[in-house]
This record gives sequence, structure tokens and C-alpha cells, in this order.
Amino acid sequence: MAQHNLGTVISFEFVRTVTKLRFWIGTLSVPVIMAVVFGMIFLSNTSTSTAAEAQKNAQFSISYLDASGLITPADAAAFGAVPAASSAAGIRDVQSGAVDAYFEFPAHPETTAVKAYGADRGLFENGKYAAVAQAMLARAVAVKIGSPQLSRLASGSAQVDTVTYQGSEVSGGMNSVVPPLAFLVVFYGLVVLLAGQMLNSTLEEKENRVTEMILTTLKPTTLITGKVLALFMVGLVQVAVFASPILVGALFYRDAMRIPEFDASQLEFDPLRMTVGLLILVGGFALFTTTLVAIGAVMPTAKEAGNFMGVMIALIFIPFYSVSLVVSEPHSPIVQVFTYFPFSAPVTALLRNAFGSLGIVEAAVVIAILYIGAALMLRVAVRLFQYGSISYTSKVSIRTALRAGSRHAVAGPAEHPAEK
Amino acid sequence: MDEPVVHISGFRMDFADTTVVRDLSFDVRAGETFGFLGSNGSGKTTTIRALLGLYEPTAGVLHINGRPFKPEHGSRLGYLPEERGLYKKEKVMDVMTYFGRLKGMDRHSARQWSLAYLNRVDLAGKAATQVDKLSSGEQQKVQLGVTIMNRPELLILDEPTKGFDPVNRRLLMDIIGEQKSDGATVVMVTHQMEEVERLCDRIILLKDGTSEAYGTIDEVQNKYGGRIVRIRHAGPIPPSPHYEVTLEETNYAELSITDGTDEAAILRELMDAGLVIRSFTTTKISMEDIFIRVYGDHTQPPSSVPARAAAARGA
Repeated sequence: MAQHNLGTVISFEFVRTVTKLRFWIGTLSVPVIMAVVFGMIFLSNTSTSTAAEAQKNAQFSISYLDASGLITPADAAAFGAVPAASSAAGIRDVQSGAVDAYFEFPAHPETTAVKAYGADRGLFENGKYAAVAQAMLARAVAVKIGSPQLSRLASGSAQVDTVTYQGSEVSGGMNSVVPPLAFLVVFYGLVVLLAGQMLNSTLEEKENRVTEMILTTLKPTTLITGKVLALFMVGLVQVAVFASPILVGALFYRDAMRIPEFDASQLEFDPLRMTVGLLILVGGFALFTTTLVAIGAVMPTAKEAGNFMGVMIALIFIPFYSVSLVVSEPHSPIVQVFTYFPFSAPVTALLRNAFGSLGIVEAAVVIAILYIGAALMLRVAVRLFQYGSISYTSKVSIRTALRAGSRHAVAGPAEHPAEK
Repeated sequence: MDEPVVHISGFRMDFADTTVVRDLSFDVRAGETFGFLGSNGSGKTTTIRALLGLYEPTAGVLHINGRPFKPEHGSRLGYLPEERGLYKKEKVMDVMTYFGRLKGMDRHSARQWSLAYLNRVDLAGKAATQVDKLSSGEQQKVQLGVTIMNRPELLILDEPTKGFDPVNRRLLMDIIGEQKSDGATVVMVTHQMEEVERLCDRIILLKDGTSEAYGTIDEVQNKYGGRIVRIRHAGPIPPSPHYEVTLEETNYAELSITDGTDEAAILRELMDAGLVIRSFTTTKISMEDIFIRVYGDHTQPPSSVPARAAAARGA
């Protein structure tokens, strides 16, 4: 019967959430916004590169002075540039409109800035002066080197493949970081997107006065567990929807969106780190869900409960502010505190796990903390719901509600005199 | 004798330093309709909630079918709480099917039963309507349907007629009657004394958290005098050890017989005292009169007693 009811609760909670129009409006708005942003990036990149090319090839009248001796008359002629009589004359010609631009190449352009003076053509079009000045210099250097191959190498476009070792084993580098890091992204997605639903899931019974009917029909543990599992399923649907534009973009528009070239086949799925990541994800999600459900059980309204949501969300972002420390100095005291404090543990441990600095013993301790914490919070949530949610209009003291599990009722004086 | 369906013994309930119910004991027998009466704050809902495990009792034994109630025991319970509510943003049929499934029905049976019930209560066209789009009376009907799904063996109804108009109240009473005919034991918390007299086999009156009266309707009526004499008369009513004047107007009075004296002796006594009697009728004391006597007229507007008298005179 309990199994049957658990399935019924999960099915009811999941179906009624995903069949609501407002759920899909909220859920789809994120990928739509992302698609719009990607579209703007795509258009912007296209127009930027077009503009840059246009600027480099822009034809306008130029005078110049070259103290470096790198630019030959032939290089200058390729850009239609003519020598200026002096620096002052070059600037004066620009001011008078005799030429569009005057470039002043210093003796040491590798350390000193080239000066470009031009007629104002607007903020964006003015970029052509710097682009053409750089192009003139690059061409001059390339001609000096005398070999296109050497020129490419000199411009720093040489490809380097790095191989690192952990002992005698080749370590995965970034390819081994990305897969377990995905658990962190999923964790953030689930908690940030579902925190409100977690908080409201038991409040709904309370606000709608369904608590008594429910609690006399099924065990509160079954109800709360069913709600948590349904929320997890809803979260997975949302994550899948949110991830879809990223996948589409990565698969079909990678170049347009300038996604760094990476070969998915090179990703390393370390079974241990993936397992640890999955366990931390599930444990962390369970801990946050049960905590928010417990808070919802003692709050009389969604508005009052909402005050606590900000605190919970802040707890998962705090470790992120010290991400560089987490990555570079995982054994510093602050990172250790974040690693073992239950509500900052998921983010910190997932980061450390991805970067390979979470030892097996540390991982075991964190996982134990999360699962034991989640189990305890589930018990607390059940008890608070059982004894707190029947107190319809007043905020129940957590201490009183927890004590109620022994031999005391929790309805305060504000509640029972209302009885008819 | 059969084990009672509900057994409460020595029940005490404290909220912080306030005792709401003290030393309460009663049984509800299988198949009977039991009235649970009391004024506001007398401890009725607290008792029901403690019986159903929603409150932990401070002391005492509260059993359903011989053990403390737990939903997982699989008892077929139908509970209509005083605090009504359903999932307001869901469709009527979805809510009914959900509760039907939680009560052990399969999806198909729950839907079929719900359709038949909605048809019965003139809500067939509202199956796909969101609950909060229904009127409060319609929501009450849906909630009653949820309560009686899967043929409950024990029905606990906390003020079942609250919010119903007279027509729907009659429908509700018919449905409760049907449940009783099907063998259900019914516990009804109510203020409607007419319902109590019509439906209940036995009752308990709670006052300040303790039992004021407990037994069959007859037993309780007898405890409070049992019989009422109504007279139209001229002249002053003499005092007597055999009756108490409970209402006296210019030409109308109600006397509550306080001992076993028969009505003929009372009539003779009045006439011997020189009273001119124009009409003389006897009746049993009503549950409403008992209620008012126990809890005091402050529960009613001051005008209600003359109004009742007028009703009794047929005015």
C-alpha cells in the first residue's frame, strides 16, 4: 500500500506540474531567452568579423611617419598611404580634411603604442584606423620575415598539445574536469530553479487546508518522499529543456557562436569521479529539498516562507565566490569548512571533485554528511509537516513542533480556540 | 458484545498550559450514527484530530478498531474535516481520482466512481473544471465525494452541513443515510440539532472539555427533564416541585417536568390552582433546548428564544 501510495503521489505531483501551462511558460522562457542571446551573439559575431575585415581593407587616404624603419614605401603603398612631412603636419592634414588619417609608428612599436589620428566617423567606424594601422605593421613584419610559415609562428598561432602525468599515468587535464563538472551545473540548475517549488510543495497542502485529509489517508513520510522524488523528476525535465539550446548550438552552430573547439571523444569519464559527482549531486539535492520542504511546513504563507529561500540560495553561491581558492588551495581552512558544512558542501565538493582535489576519504565523508543530513532533514520535514502543517494560520515554532513527536501537540492557543 | 469501532478512554489534551479536553471516555459502536456535540471550543475537533493521530494526546487511549489509527493500517476511513480544502488549482476529476487511488482504488474505478458521484450531485459537467472555479457549495460536494470514496467503514464528519443550502443539506443527509444503510459507522460533529434528532442513535455532549451527557437521544432527553408541557392559559402559573417554568409569556408558557409526575397530574394541579387552560400539549424536550440549557443562551441571539416559542405556538 505504501509503495502504491508513493507511486500515486509521485505521479500526481509530477503530472500536475508538467501539465500546467505556467510551468512550460516558465521553463521554455529560459531556452527562448538563451536562443535570443545566442542569436544576438551569432549576428553580432557575423557583423563584427565582417566589420573588422572591412576595416582592415578599408580604403581611405592615409599619411604616416615611421620611426621604426619597418614599413617600406611598398608596404605603405599597398594601403594607399603616403609619408607625412612631420607629425604636426600629419595631424594638421587630418584636422583640415586633407587626409582621412595620419599614423605615427614609433621607433619601438613592440613596446610603444602606434598613434592613429583620424577624422571622426562615429564610435564604431573609428575602429578602422587602429585596424588598418595594425594591418600595415603586420604586413611590414611579415615581409621582413620573408616566410608566411614563420610569420604564422611568430604571430603565436602554433598549436601545442599538452600531456601531463599523475605518476606514470597520463592525467586527463581539462578533458577529465568537464564531465564531473556537469554535476555542479545540474545541481545549480535544480536548486535554483526548483527552490520555490520545494518551499511551496507542502505549503500548498497547508494553504489549501488539505493537510487533514492527506494525513488521514497516507503516511507523511510517503507524501514528503513522493514530493521530493517528483521534484527531482521535474528538475530533470527542466534541465533537459534548458540544456537543449546549448546542445543544439554546440552541435550545429559551434563556429558561429565561437564555442572553443573541443573534441567530445577526448572527454575522460573517470568512473570514480563520476560516481562521486553523482552521489554528491543526489545527496545535495535531497538535503536542500528536504530542508526547504521542512521550512515550508512551518510557515503559514508562501510570502513568509519566501524569506528563507534567499538564504538557502545564498548558501550555494557563497563557495562560488571563493572558487579560485577552492581550485588552487583545496586544503585551506576556509575551503575545508565549505567542504564539510552541509549546505556549502555540495558546491565545494563538486568543484573539488571535478578538479581532482577531493580525496576518496574526503569524498566519503562529504557523501555521508549529505545523506545523513538529508535523512535527518527528511525526518524533521515529516515531523514538522505532520505536527506543524495542521496549524493553518500561525507560524509553528520548530522546537515545539519537534517536541510534538513525543507527547505534546503543537497547535498553539491561537489555533485551538478557533475550533468549532 | 462487539468491540466498538471507536474507543476513547481517559483522553486528556493539553496545549501548552491549557487543558482543552480532560478525562473523556466514550465508545462508538459498529453501524451506529453517533453525534458529537458541543459549543465552540469545547474540544470536539481536538478529540477527532487526536483520534486520527493528527495530535498526540497528552493522556488516554484513542482507538479505531482496537488500535491507534494510522493511515497505513488500511482502515477504510472517510474523514470530512472542519477545515475544508482541496487542491484548488487542479481539476475536479484529477483530485477525486488522486484521493481514490490513495484510498486503494485503481485509476479506472476511481474515475468511474467519481463520474457517477458527480452525476448524482449535479456536477457532471464540472469534472474538468478547476476546483477553485467552483462555488463553495460545489466544492463542499466534491469534498464529500472524496470523503466517501471506496465505501468507508467509518465516516467522521466534522460539521458536514457547514456551507450547504437547505436543498444540498438534504442531499447530504440522504448520502450520509445511504452510507449508514451500507453498514458504515458515522461520527458526526454538528451544531444542527435537527440533524442530530433525525440521524443519530447516540450522542455525547462536550462542555469545557468534559462529557456533559452521553447516551441515546432518549436517555439524554430524559436526563434534561424529558418532557415539556406547553400551555395557552390565563392567570399566573403557580410554583410546583413537579415542574420548572422554562418560558413564560402573557398567555403562553413552557413547563419542564422535573420528576416522574404524569402530564394528567400536572394539568390537574394547574387547574386546581385556578388557571384557565385554553390548550395543553406535551412533547419531549428538543435537543436544541438541551443544547441551549447546557451551553447557555449566549450562543444564540437574544431574540431566538421568543422566536422558538412563537414557532412552537405555530405563530
